[in-house]
Formats: sequence, C-alpha cells, structure tokens
Amino acid sequence: MKDVGKDNNHMNTLLAKERAADPIIGNVARGQNFLNGLLANRRIRGAVVASPLLVLLVGFLIIPLSNIVWGSVEGTKLNFAHYARIFSDEINFNIMLHTLKIGLIVTVLSLGAAYPVAYLLTKMGSRAFSIVSVFILVPLFTAFLIRTYAWMIILGREGPINNALIWLGLVSEPLPLLNTTFAVIVGMVHVFIPMAIFTMYSSMARINHDFARAAQILGAKPVQAFVRVYLPMSLPGVFSAGILIFIVAIGFYITPALLGGPRDAMISQQIVTQMTTLLNFELSYASSVVLLLVTIATLFLASLFIPLEMIWSSATIEPSNRKISERSRLLSGAKRAFHPILSLFEAFAHVVTKRVLTQQSRWLWTYTTVILVFLTAPLIVVVLLSFSSSPFVVFPPPGFSLQWWERLANATDWHTSFLFSIQLGLVAALFATLIGTMGAFWLVRTTLPIKRPLFLFSLSPLMVPVVIIATSLYIFEARIGLLGSFAGLVIGHVLLSVPYVIVVMAAALRGFDRSLESAAAVHGARPLQVLRLVTLPILKPALWTGGLLAFLTSFDELLISIFLLGRQTSPLPVKFWGDIRFQLNPLLSTASTLIVALVTVSILTAQWIRLRHEQRTAISASK
Amino acid sequence: MSTSLEMKKIQKFYGALHVVRDFDLYIEPGEFLTFLGPSGSGKTTALKLIAGFETPSGGDMLLGSRSIVDVPPYERGIGMVFQNYALFPHMTVVENVAFPLTVRKAARSEVEEKVLRALQLVKMDQYRDRYPNQLSGGQQQRIALARAIVFNPSLLLMDEPLGALDRNLREHMKIEIMRIQKELNITVIFVTHDQDEALVMSDRIAVINEGRLVQVADSKSLYYSPQDRFVASFVGESNLLPCRVNQIENGTGTVTIAGRANGVARLSGQSGGESGWLFVRPEHVDISPRGATSTAQNVLDGVVEDALFLGEMTRYTVRCGNETMTVKQQNRGQPHFAGKTPVTVSWDADRCTVLH
Ligand SMILES: Nc1ncnc2c1ncn2[C@@H]1O[C@H](COP(=O)(O)OP(=O)(O)O)[C@@H](O)[C@H]1O
Ligand SMILES: [Mg+2]
Repeated sequence: MKDVGKDNNHMNTLLAKERAADPIIGNVARGQNFLNGLLANRRIRGAVVASPLLVLLVGFLIIPLSNIVWGSVEGTKLNFAHYARIFSDEINFNIMLHTLKIGLIVTVLSLGAAYPVAYLLTKMGSRAFSIVSVFILVPLFTAFLIRTYAWMIILGREGPINNALIWLGLVSEPLPLLNTTFAVIVGMVHVFIPMAIFTMYSSMARINHDFARAAQILGAKPVQAFVRVYLPMSLPGVFSAGILIFIVAIGFYITPALLGGPRDAMISQQIVTQMTTLLNFELSYASSVVLLLVTIATLFLASLFIPLEMIWSSATIEPSNRKISERSRLLSGAKRAFHPILSLFEAFAHVVTKRVLTQQSRWLWTYTTVILVFLTAPLIVVVLLSFSSSPFVVFPPPGFSLQWWERLANATDWHTSFLFSIQLGLVAALFATLIGTMGAFWLVRTTLPIKRPLFLFSLSPLMVPVVIIATSLYIFEARIGLLGSFAGLVIGHVLLSVPYVIVVMAAALRGFDRSLESAAAVHGARPLQVLRLVTLPILKPALWTGGLLAFLTSFDELLISIFLLGRQTSPLPVKFWGDIRFQLNPLLSTASTLIVALVTVSILTAQWIRLRHEQRTAISASK
Repeated sequence: MSTSLEMKKIQKFYGALHVVRDFDLYIEPGEFLTFLGPSGSGKTTALKLIAGFETPSGGDMLLGSRSIVDVPPYERGIGMVFQNYALFPHMTVVENVAFPLTVRKAARSEVEEKVLRALQLVKMDQYRDRYPNQLSGGQQQRIALARAIVFNPSLLLMDEPLGALDRNLREHMKIEIMRIQKELNITVIFVTHDQDEALVMSDRIAVINEGRLVQVADSKSLYYSPQDRFVASFVGESNLLPCRVNQIENGTGTVTIAGRANGVARLSGQSGGESGWLFVRPEHVDISPRGATSTAQNVLDGVVEDALFLGEMTRYTVRCGNETMTVKQQNRGQPHFAGKTPVTVSWDADRCTVLH
C-alpha cells in the first residue's frame, strides 16, 4: 500500500511540474476552423439546420396545396361552382356523409377495443410488455395493403369464415361478407387498433396507478376508483387517439377501395376518380379542399381541449396542471348535475363488475389475448396460405406445398419491385433522417417564441390526408417537370416520413442532457467534434428508430407512389395493388409473408438495439 | 503553470434581468476561490461566463494576460466539473478521461500516460473500463474531476460538485479536492451555496447576492467581520439586533440596543444618530443567571425560551423584549438554564459590530 501511495505522489509531482512544460492548448488542427466558426454563430447555425426542412415543407407541401386551393376556384375567376356541385349533387354529398359516418364508427370501435389493452400495458412487467408489444408492433408496421388483402381472403366466399359457417351447417350459401360496409369497418378497425393502443398507452403510461390505489384506500370501490380517478385522467390520451384515427380514417383509401362495395366509396376514392378517370380536375380540387377543411376543423376543435402535438407525440407534453379553464369549469358543472345518475351507475356497475374487477388482471389478460389474436390472425392466414398447394385462394389450404415460394423465387417482376422498394426506402429514409434530425435540432433548440406552432407545422404532412398530398404533388411535379423522376418520387416519400423522424428525434433531444455538450466544449471539443463524438452517438438509438420508421413508411406507401411513379419500376405496394385488383392468388400471400417476416425481424432488431443501448447508458441502472 | 483570472466590470443580462452585476475580481494563480451565494444569486451564470457558455453583456475578462471574452469555450483551456458530473454515458471511464486529450489530437502514448496519472490522482485507476452508470455517485465525481484536470487546464471550475453526494461522501470529497488542488497547484473557482464547504475549502470566498459581489475575503474575516447584514446572516449563524448609534470614539461607539439597553460596539462607518444592526455571533454571547454581575459592556435581560442540548454545546433561544437572541454555550459543567428561566446575556464590545 505504502509503495503505491509513494508512486502516486511521485506521479502527481511530475504531473504538476509538467504543466509548465506542455500546454496542449492551441495544438489543434485548424482544418475545420471556418465551419466551426460559422457554427458558433447561433443564427447561422439555426438557418443551416432549419432550411432543408422548411424548403421541403414549403416547397412541396404548402405551395402544391395552395395550387389546389387556387385551382378549385379556377384562380382569379373565383368560381365556386365546383363546391356548389359537391353539396348539391346527392351522390357527392352522400359520399361526404358516408365518409364521416365510417370515420366516426371506426374511431369509436377502435378506441373501445384498444382501451383495455392500453390499460393493461401500463400495468405489465417489462418482460410481458416487450412480448405483447411485438404482437402489436408487427401488425402496426405491416403494410395496410397486406392487412387488407388478408381480410379479402378471410371474408371471401371461400374464406375461413364462410367455410366454417357452412361446415357448422349454419348457412347453406356463403354469406356475401366482402364488398360490404361491414367489411370496410372490420378492415379499418383492424388497421387502427394498434395505432389506438400505442397512442393511448403513451399518455396513459404517465398516469400513476397510485392515484387509483389511493382512492381505494380512501374508500372508493374499485369501479369508483376507476371511473372517478383513472378514467378522467386518461381521457386526454383517449381523445387524442380518437382525433388521430378520425383524421386518418376519413382520408383512407386502400381499405374501402378493396373491401367495400360500390356504395361504400369514401371521399378519397372520389378525389382519385375525379382526377384520374373523370379528368375533372377542378372538381377533385374542390373535393380535396373540402376534405382538408373537415380535417382542419377537426383539429381545431381538438386543439380547444388538448395541445395538438399530443396527438402525434405525447412525449412532448409535460404532465402539468394546466390552468383550469372556463371549459373545464363548465364540465364540472355538468358533472355535478349528473352526479345522482353517476352514483346510481356506479352502484350498479359495482355489483356487476365486482367479480371482474377484483380479478381484474385475469379478465384483462383474456380480453387482451382476444385482441392480439384478432390483430395477428389475418397475418397468420396469409402466412399459411403462402404454403398452399391450391392454385386458388382457399382457406384452409387443401395441402402443403412450396410451389408459391418457388414461383416467387422465379418471379423477376417481383424481384425488381422488391429491390426498387428497398432502394427507394433507403434513399427516402436517409434523406428523411437527415432533414428530420436537423429540423428536430432546430425545433427543440431554437429560441424563437413561435416554437410550438413551428413544431406543429413540421408535423403537417401527418395532418393533411395522404390522398391530397399525392394529388397535389402530382399536379405540382408535373408543372415543374419533376413528375416520373426518381427524385420526384423520393421527395414525396421523404415528405411523408419526415414527421416521424422529427417526433422521435425531438423527444430524444428534449431528454438530452445539454450539460454533456457543455462539458465536451469546455474540455476542448469544437462544435463538429461535439456533434460527432457526443451528441450523435448518444442519440443513436433514436436515429435508428427514426430511420426505421421512415423506411417503413416509404416501404408501405401506395398513393404517393401511384401518382408520382411515372414509368419507373413499380415499388412493392404498387405492384401489389395492381395484382390484387387483377386477381387474388397465393403468390400475393407469399410476397406478403416475406414482407411480414422482414418487418418482424427489423422490429425485433430495433427492440434489441434499444435494450442494449439502454442497459449501457441508463443512469438508473443498478450498480 | 496555473493562471490568474481577472474579471473587469463583468455584466450579464437575460432580457431585462440583470443576473451578474459589476463583477470586479482578481483571482491569483493557484488560488482556491469560492463563489458563495443563495440559489438564484447568479453563481452558475458567472461560471458560465468564465467557461464561455455565455457571452458577457459588458466588461472584460483576462485569463493570464489574454482577454477571453471572444474566445470560444473549446479554446479557453479550462477544466470544469459539472454539478451532475456530465460524464459521457456512451464512453468508458478511460474514454471519458481521455476526451480532452483526444479532441486535441494528442499522441496516443501521451494520452495513455496522462489518463493513467489522472486516474491515479483521483484513485480510480481500477475502474478504467467501466461505464459511468456502473459507478457510484462518488466515483463518478472522481472521474469528472480526472477528466477536468487531465489536460493541465489553466483554471478549474466546479459548479456545486458536492451537491449530489450524501453527507459522509461530501466530507471525504472536500478533503480530496483540497488535496488535489494543492498537489497540482491549480487555480480553482468553486461554486456552492453551502457555507461550510466554502469556509473549509477556500483561500478566499466571494459572497454573491442578487448578482452582486457583496464581499470577497478569506474565511476568517468573512466570518468575524462581515461587511453587511446579508453576509452576516448567510455565513454562519448570527444575531442581528436593531440599534442606534449615539456617540463615536475612535471606531467604536455607544449604542442603544433594541431601544432598551445601552452598549458599546465597533462601527463600520456609521455616524452619530444613525440606526443600524448590531451583529454578534451566538458563540460570543455569554448567558448567566439574572442579576449576576458582568464585566461585558453589552448586557440584556431576557427569558430563556428554548434550550437545545447538542452534546458539546447548548443552544439557547432567549427572548429579550421584542427580540430573540441565539446563544451557543460550550458545555463545560456550568449550570443549565431550563425554559422560562430569567437570565442575562452579555458580550464584549470588540465582539460586535454595527452593520448597515
Ligand atoms: N438562460 C437563462 N435565461 C434567463 N434567465 C436565466 C437563465 N439562466 C439563469 N437565469 C436566471 O438568472 C438567475 C441566476 O441563475 P443562476 O446563475 O443559475 O443562479 P445560481 O447558480 O446562483 O443558483 C436566476 O434568477 C435565473 O432564473
Ligand atoms: Mg447554480
């Protein structure tokens, strides 16, 4: 021990003496000085970082949309006849109403189905959570097209439902399930449940269960504790999930087009038909504007009750006690009026639910399992079909064979589509990650007072219905001669995926400890070195997540591709779309299976990377 | 070589908020200077100005002989220990400590040698390959210190580095930091709101209140001759009684204390008729049974309100009319006064000062 101490002392004296001899300060390569100097200026840095995002949003969203609005009134002619036509023509008007009706039904059903699952997710242990979440994530990231295709099989004349009903002797003829409003609703609910679960979960995860426990200790029956304490606290999350689903649902294209009958047309199909078949551009512009206005009105209404950014990224909202507004006072007044009814309801509910709630988790687990089966069964049907020995789409398959896999292995058109999709996805994800990350830095760190509106603006591609983005870009790119080029296609995909990157990166940046950057700077790291050595490595998991989301968004995108593709190779969704409409065959199942497998692998990889990174860097990790 | 730091009329505004006002301070090479002040007084801001994270709104700052107001932080060559340590979570201990050298593109062998020495200095050389989250708070603290000194900085800044540690560890780290500062003979600016830390560790203490330097002095003068009421009450415990100066005789004056008793006290520039605050430390006040004769010039009658037995001493609260006085008495076997006992408190003239 003594020796070591002595050695230490010797070293220290050395160290102390040496400081005079070798000041390292100033011994640095001066290569990137200019860039570093520029980056030191806050304004210049802001402009550099913000401009790609702003150019993208203004140049390829705002301007094309303005063109559409302008075109819908025929420019300076200010001709509102096309709007008049939408509202006076019964068919057009009914399509509007039908769209809103379907949107509402789907929203309510998805929320109702998802709420208990989201609730259970907040109570699960982390092991169970990661398993269950994979079962929800895989459907969430599987292309709408594939999921819709699965429902076409399941609900078809020779699908498992009709076969089962006939086998049980309940019906003699196959029921016409496909091409009905029912099919549209089932298909859309299936699409939206995972979205609803995660949106609600992310805000419900912030609610401390101790509140409800405290209520029970204070004498509330379980149902009272839930209805009076937990439910009200979870309502903002439910509401924001509802808004999200509603605005996506009313702009939905794929599912109603494939599962619905002729009378189930929704407004986005109408817009596409008006533009591509009827070639009545002004009318389609007007329809677009109406759809846009409905969306904006919905969002405006929502903004009265919740901060809008909560819809897309609940992580940005601090759980704060916001000012008690007129509205909530109004609400509590209404509550008081309903109080006797509420008490009666609670007494009743207590009797009914006593058994259920005391064994709460078992019931919840059963329910959750049913939902998980509902979510994954269609994918499983698709996977099984890919091994069918039949040349037709029948379920259950009559026998096992690999013939469809062999067919896929030899189908060069599918190969080129697949490769093109990958290529497109990678390029789009690269640009989206770059632009989105720079944008997120700017949005989080700018000192501009309009930070919040800017953040909302950067999410606008998620607010505008995809069909409108697709058609407006189509017109705009045709005008500037970009239509049909790879660049034009990439721009469309980047536009759609950039908000996801922003949401992920902004959340990561808000949680980023900026004193790490200060520490790096004061210890000699130039701005670019800080970025390369400290900031980016720590943000790596978020970068990968953002990139993966961008890739999957692009990989799944149909409408944008249909409109902007021109004569290029069809990416997978477009190829898929063409084939589905042409004929249903098990080859589609095989291709879908491959994609589902890829999605699953990438989700598992992402989870694994995240876990590993967290283990290493979590501050809370055990000693 | 350790370097001096000179601040000349340094100002900092955040909008209309004047956070650092007229900082005029010369810190000698090798000096251990502490910024002491309540939370929100501007200590961190002052440190940020020195480190270069913020630009002063006015004034000049010299590191050695070089003006550094326009020099970016990465060229100042300053080491800093952050309150939350700010260790890079994705780097091992060695990588963290080597950081200041690697970003300066130092040679590999030099890096290894210096990192090893720095780690030995903070006694953490066995933990080379751990990640920060695998270390305890005290160990992280040592690594943060090693990282801040590994490149022979001209100046070492520490922002409440002991705030996050538990009490025992804090005592221990105080001594370690002092040892390392002595060994490297490095100039240190240490920020704290804890007067004990400041009194124990510093060569000089700069007391800051509302963005202003109130008093810059060594621990003893600060404790015994505070310049104003704020310093008196912030550094250590004190009694402050309202008083009025009557007559002045070479530096001392006769005073009326709390409007009821006459006494004698040192003055700090007051003139006759002026009112002020009579300052006296609790350990300088004697307590005796009412009526006992006293040689002290200042005597007040009171009643014991509260007596706290603290082992080595007893802490009395004595009510004297409208004022309460705190008295600390070493326990050497003298009588103990229970609550409600009528007593007399007294102190010498050269133990008390009239403050503004
Ligand atoms: N970036 C900033 N913008 C505006 N006000 C600030 C900023 N940083 C600090 N302040 C204000 O300056 C004052 C001093 O803060 P600080 O230097 O952190 O105090 P201390 O470290 O002594 O607790 C506080 O009132 C604080 O609110
Ligand atoms: Mg501070």
